[in-house]
Order: sequence, then C-alpha cells, then structure tokens
Amino acid sequence: MSFHPHMEYAPARFHKSERVLADDGETFAYTPERQQAFDEVVTRYPADRRKSAVLFALYLVQQQQGYVSGASMRFVASQIGCSTADVEDVATYYTMFYRHPVGTYVLNVCRTLSCALLGAERVVEQISAALGIKPGETDPSGMFTLIEVECLGACDRAPVVMVNDDWHERLAPEQVPAFLDGLRTRGAAALTGCHLHVEEK
Amino acid sequence: METVTLTIDGRPVTVDKGKTVLQAAIESGISVPYYCYHPGLGVDGSCRVCIVKIEKMPKLQTSCSTTCADGMVVTTRDEDVVKARAGIFEFLLVNHPLDCPVCDKGGECPLQDFSYAFGPAESRMDFPRRVFDGEGVKADVDFGPTLMLNRNRCILCTRCVRFMREVEGDAQIGIVDRGNGSEIATFREEGVHSLLSGNLMDVCPVGAITTRDYRFKSRPWDNPNVVDTICTRCSKGCSTSAWLKAKPEWARGSQLIRMTPRYNPAVNDYWMCDIGRFGYHWIEGEQRLRRPMVRRGSALESCAWHDVLPKVREQIQQAGTADPSSVRFLVSAHAATEELFVLRQTIDGLMGADARGSVSLTWARSEKTQPAGTRFVVPATDAPNVRGAHDLGFAVGAGHDGAPDLGALRAAVEGGRVRVLYVIDPGPDGSLGDVAWVAAARRAGTLPFLVVQGVVRHDLVEAADVVLPGATSTEKDALYTNDQGMVQPSSRAILPPGEAQEDWRILVSVARALGLSLSYDSSDAVRVALAAAMPGTAYAGAGAVTFSRPIPSRNWLQASNPSERWKWDFMFQDLPPVKGHSVQMEGVPVKDIIPLKPTQA
Ligand code: SF4
Ligand code: SF4
Ligand code: FES
Ligand code: FES
Repeated sequence: MSFHPHMEYAPARFHKSERVLADDGETFAYTPERQQAFDEVVTRYPADRRKSAVLFALYLVQQQQGYVSGASMRFVASQIGCSTADVEDVATYYTMFYRHPVGTYVLNVCRTLSCALLGAERVVEQISAALGIKPGETDPSGMFTLIEVECLGACDRAPVVMVNDDWHERLAPEQVPAFLDGLRTRGAAALTGCHLHVEEK
Repeated sequence: METVTLTIDGRPVTVDKGKTVLQAAIESGISVPYYCYHPGLGVDGSCRVCIVKIEKMPKLQTSCSTTCADGMVVTTRDEDVVKARAGIFEFLLVNHPLDCPVCDKGGECPLQDFSYAFGPAESRMDFPRRVFDGEGVKADVDFGPTLMLNRNRCILCTRCVRFMREVEGDAQIGIVDRGNGSEIATFREEGVHSLLSGNLMDVCPVGAITTRDYRFKSRPWDNPNVVDTICTRCSKGCSTSAWLKAKPEWARGSQLIRMTPRYNPAVNDYWMCDIGRFGYHWIEGEQRLRRPMVRRGSALESCAWHDVLPKVREQIQQAGTADPSSVRFLVSAHAATEELFVLRQTIDGLMGADARGSVSLTWARSEKTQPAGTRFVVPATDAPNVRGAHDLGFAVGAGHDGAPDLGALRAAVEGGRVRVLYVIDPGPDGSLGDVAWVAAARRAGTLPFLVVQGVVRHDLVEAADVVLPGATSTEKDALYTNDQGMVQPSSRAILPPGEAQEDWRILVSVARALGLSLSYDSSDAVRVALAAAMPGTAYAGAGAVTFSRPIPSRNWLQASNPSERWKWDFMFQDLPPVKGHSVQMEGVPVKDIIPLKPTQA
C-alpha cells in the first residue's frame, strides 16, 4: 500500500536524470571459491564494521566478471548488509572499478606530467589509431580497452602504461604497434613492468 | 548538568558540557553560518563554513565539530576568519546556479542568507559551471514519488544522506562519483521511497530537494500566516505548522498551502511523516460537506440548520422513549476532546452515566512499512484521540494500539435493535474504519434512521437520513491526547467551509434541542468545564490552554509566529541585512551592507 497521494507534476515537463548508470548485467552470485574467500575475509572486520569489507567484495566481483554491474552491486549489498546506494557510492568513487564490460587487456595510459613530457599524448594517439577507438572505448575484437589515468607512481620510467594490474614502462609512441602485437601473441609476458623483471632475476 | 564556560567574541558563554562551539554560539545569539550541521543529525564537518578561530589551536577550526572546553577563547569575527569564510563561500558558489528567482527555496534559503551575509560580493570564477541533467529548472529530475532533485543546486552537505541513514533507517541516498563530479543520487536513479521523504526537503539547506506537492505553488512571502497545529492522521500527534497562503487581492482569504513539522522533542523532534505532510488536500477539497442535508426519497437535499435539528430531535426522542438502548453513537477517534466531553454530558444528562456504553469508538488502522532501524516510527492507529476518549470514560476496545471493537454495535444494528445511529466523524474519508455494514443496514432498512455528523461526502453520508457538516481539526481549536497521554492543543488555521460548524457547537445544539441546558458559547467554555470536571488529571489545565492565531505579517514571515521564529533563530538564524538588526552590522551604513554597484553616470 502506498501512503503517498498521487502527485505527478506535469510529467511531460521534467525528465529522468541523465546520469550514466552501470550496466545492469545478469543476475550475479559469487562462484563457490569466491564466496568462501569473502566469508573468510569479512570475519577479519568487527561485526559493526562489516561495511568496510565492501571494497574487497567489489574486487571479487570485478575478478569474476571483469566489471561491476548493477546486479552485482545488489548482490554485494545483500552480502555486506548495507544499502545498495552505499555500494554504488563506493563503486562509483573508485575509477578502477569498471561499470561496463571491458576488454581482456585494459590499457591505462598515464597522462600526468612526467609521462606527458615524454610523449604520453602521442602514445594515446598511436593506440587510438592502431585500434580505431577513443579513450574510454573497447576495440571491436573485445581485446583492448583504452583509458587515460593519472600518475601511476613510476615516473622515472615514463611513459607508463598499466595493463590490467601490471606495468609496461618506457613505451615510446613508435613502439605501440609492437607492444600491441606482443600483448596479442604473448599476453602479459610481453610486459616490461619492473616487478616482472624482479621476479625474473 | 555540568556546564563549561568559554568566551566567544569577548562574551562569556556558559553551556552544558558536551555542546559544540557552534551550538554555544547559536544559543548565545552569535551568528556563525553552517550547512552540514543540523541539530537533529550527526556531525559531519564537511561544509567548512562554520570555521572560527580558537586560541591555542594552530589553525581555524570547524565550530560544529569542536567540543566546548572551559576557558576556550573563540573569535568569529577576526579578519582571518572573515577572509577564510568568504573564501569558502566563494567555493560553495563556484558551481551553484544561483537561479533563486525560479528556485523553490528562494526566500527561505540558508545559502542565500549566509552567502549574502558572509560571502564575497562577486565570484572570480572564469570557467563555466558544472552542469548535471541540464540547465535551469530542466535540471529538476525525478527523485522518487514525492520529490524532485536539482543536482546543480546541491552543495553536498550530506544532510539528506545522514537523514536517511540515521533517522529513516534505510540509506537510500548516496554520493556517486567523486571530486568535481560528485552528485547526490539514489541507487540506479530508483528514487527515494520512504514514508519520511518530505523531511528531506526540510533538511536540504538549498533548493536541491523539493517536494512535488509544494514546488512552484507559493513563495515564502506569499505565506504570511503560520499556525501551530497537531497532526491528526495518527495517534503519534506530531506538532506541525499549517502554512496559509494569501489569496490574490480579488479573491480574499487564504488557503492551506503546506504542512511542516514543528520542533517537539517529546514527540516528533524535527520530523513528520508524509501522511501528515501531504495528506491535507481533502480539507479544502471538493468532497467537503458545506450545508446540512436531509433525505428526500433517494436523494439528499440541502436544508437549513434550524430545519434539520427538529428532525434529529424527533427521531431521537421517539426512539429514546420506546427503548433508550435503541439510540446509539458511532464516534470516530478523530473527534476532539471537547466534542467527546459535550457528548458525554449529553448522554449523562439524558440517559445517565450508565448509558455511556451507547457510544462506540472507531478508527482505522494500517501497518506502515518502515525499515527496522528507523528512529521515527509511525503508529498503526490512524486517529489522534483514542487515548482522549479512553480518558473521558468511553470504552475503546483494545486501546490506542489495538483495533476498535464494534462487534456488539454491529450485532445490535444488524439485529434491528438500533433505531437511531448517530455517527460523528470529523476525519478524512476512511477514518471510521470498515463501516460498510452500517450503510448496508440502513439501505436494507434494518437501521431505520442514520445521522452523520461529518466533513467529507463518503459512502456513509450517501446512506444517511440527516447530514450535519462539521469541522476538521485545522478548522477548530481543539485538544487531542496522543498515544503517550499528552494533551496537545491544535489551533484553528482556517474557518469551516460554507455553513459547516465546529463539532462541539453542533453537539451543543443537538443537546439543547433535546431539552438539555448546555450553555457553552465558545470552545474555551467547554475546556473550562472539562477542566473542572476532571481535576487531578492531565485535563485539569485544559481551561488555560492557549492557541496560536495566524498573525498577519507585513514584513517578514518569521515575525508571524513564535514557533516558526524559533526555527529561524535556531536552524537558519536571523541574518543581516535581511532581518535588519545584527551586532556585526551595527553602525554600518546601508550602502556598505548591500553591495550596490555604481552605475555609469
Ligand atoms: S541535496 Fe541538499 S541536503 Fe542533500 S547534500 Fe545536497 S544540499 Fe545537502
Ligand atoms: S507520524 Fe502520525 S502524527 Fe506524525 S505526521 Fe505522521 S500521521 Fe501525523
Ligand atoms: S607521471 Fe606517469 S607514472 Fe607518474
Ligand atoms: S563544517 Fe561545520 S557546519 Fe559544516
């Protein structure tokens, strides 16, 4: 039963918000392993701070389906026991939660000062030209998503591109085609990120 | 209570321990602006405009989040405070559209008042404003069934977020995105769905959240009168203000334009529910009864009061002489205490106190869906005075939190043992609960005579033989006793429509027609008698209760009513130069207060 009297105000004259919403996606639930991981991690928070586990819960979602959908936010809210608005609040605050499906490799090109000085803009141009997409878009093959980001903390090895969770350093604009081919053929092994080097050594 | 003493602007100020510097300043009448602070919500400290200088503290402090300590020395008017504060105001207005002329909050907007008093005269911003959802009123978008949201005006004080989280109990509002792109939103633009949604319009310090019911209907300076009323939509009995809008010159008179909560820490704090806030249209609606009516054949026809009373007397006397128990009363718990008292006197006078059982109290009930953790629970009983009827000695079934018990009356009516049923119902349609059986009995002839003293033309009225038009709670001075047993006065805001009369007056006329010598000439007289009849109870002071009157205000709406005045002093504060007087402005020539630009000669 609604207690609210009917109070439409000239409905033709006002519109719905133009806010870009996350894709609603399909009904979501964790895989059994992720559910187990979640159940274990929440026990590390005091009962009245359960809400703090929301970031971890969203990471699990992104791991599982590549992005955070509307349906998955509802799922996380029910797991955490908070409101759906609380989850959307967090999911929209952090730029590294994607709210639309992304490609296999997300190319986060740093455009802050050091990288910019060493040609980050041209790196973006080259990638755009090679894949035929603008920043924020995914190429038709579904392999690459191009995103511009701020400083990645590896300024000494500019220009830097973060591919999913790993770095690729000193990417000169003219190396872009080779870099993309490397990713296509060898995957993450083609990256030059320092921690990968450390692991190798 | 322990107290602490501090100095604010050279003035010693003593407050209860635990109060914040901002509260101390407000209590002592020192103007400090604030947005995110709200006395009914938790501290947030996000808007920064309440900054003051406190000796021995390294930087300027937000007074809303600093607790008073003994010996603290606070200044609110130093040059650096003034300058920093003006800077914050400049930031607050960087993206604000300043579309006050088309904004519903205009005229009662803390952003207007405070910016005017404390902000810089001009913005230095060269860049275009950030725009959500379009420019101007196009930015007003759907925010649930009762509200509209204009994100361009929002200053992100998070009062609405905290209201939903702390009071409503379901945090449906959040801030999405971040930084310059932050906006107030509900999950996937689903809107706010809450029984308390109207309060969001009250807490929002700007015109970002408005109610669909009130928007574009009036401006504060067109509502010169405010009256202290009590909401009668349920047994909680919230303190409310009824706002009257002056009609245009040619139409004269005034119109009920909105209901807002009136601060009452014992009952409703700063809040009220949407049922009370938005459910007032019926009071001045088309369905109101304006003239007495009698049945001629299948139709009800208007007639005069002096013709209708003899008919009622005749029927009651006939039935009463044959069998006193065949005259019964069905009274809605919307009836005020005065009316119940006159009814009690009438029954005692005619049939003796034993006959009080001839009165059956009735009311509607509806369980409200509210979140489990809500701090504002709306009771299930949809009537204001079950407790009052009980106090006056009438049987009220299971009491104010149960259902009415009409079993015996129904059996008597359907068994043909009732010859006259007198219904008293000054509430909205449906306030008698399920009484379709009464209309059915009348139509079938099992009930020979039905009198309805009511206010709206509902089903029972259609079946009645005599209809007496009464007054709603906003049309009479009356007492109601809420579920806590508090006897509360509700003042008359408007007059009953047409020839309708206040219900106590109708009952007195009926009693006199029946030969009783009741001589009340005002509801005050009834209350004096009530007080005398019930010494030692909560009603003993009834004779001295005062009611507020609409006071026309030519100058400023806050001058019109002490309770609204309170709100402005404590929640929005009186600020220069709008209200004329202020310490800060003493001795400053007007041309320096109002930033007039020199015109080109
Ligand atoms: S909508 Fe109003 S109450 Fe909510 S954050 Fe914005 S200004 Fe504050
Ligand atoms: S809670 Fe009850 S008394 Fe208060 S506003 Fe709502 S209906 Fe009226
Ligand atoms: S500027 Fe690119 S990593 Fe710091
Ligand atoms: S920071 Fe103190 S009122 Fe907002």
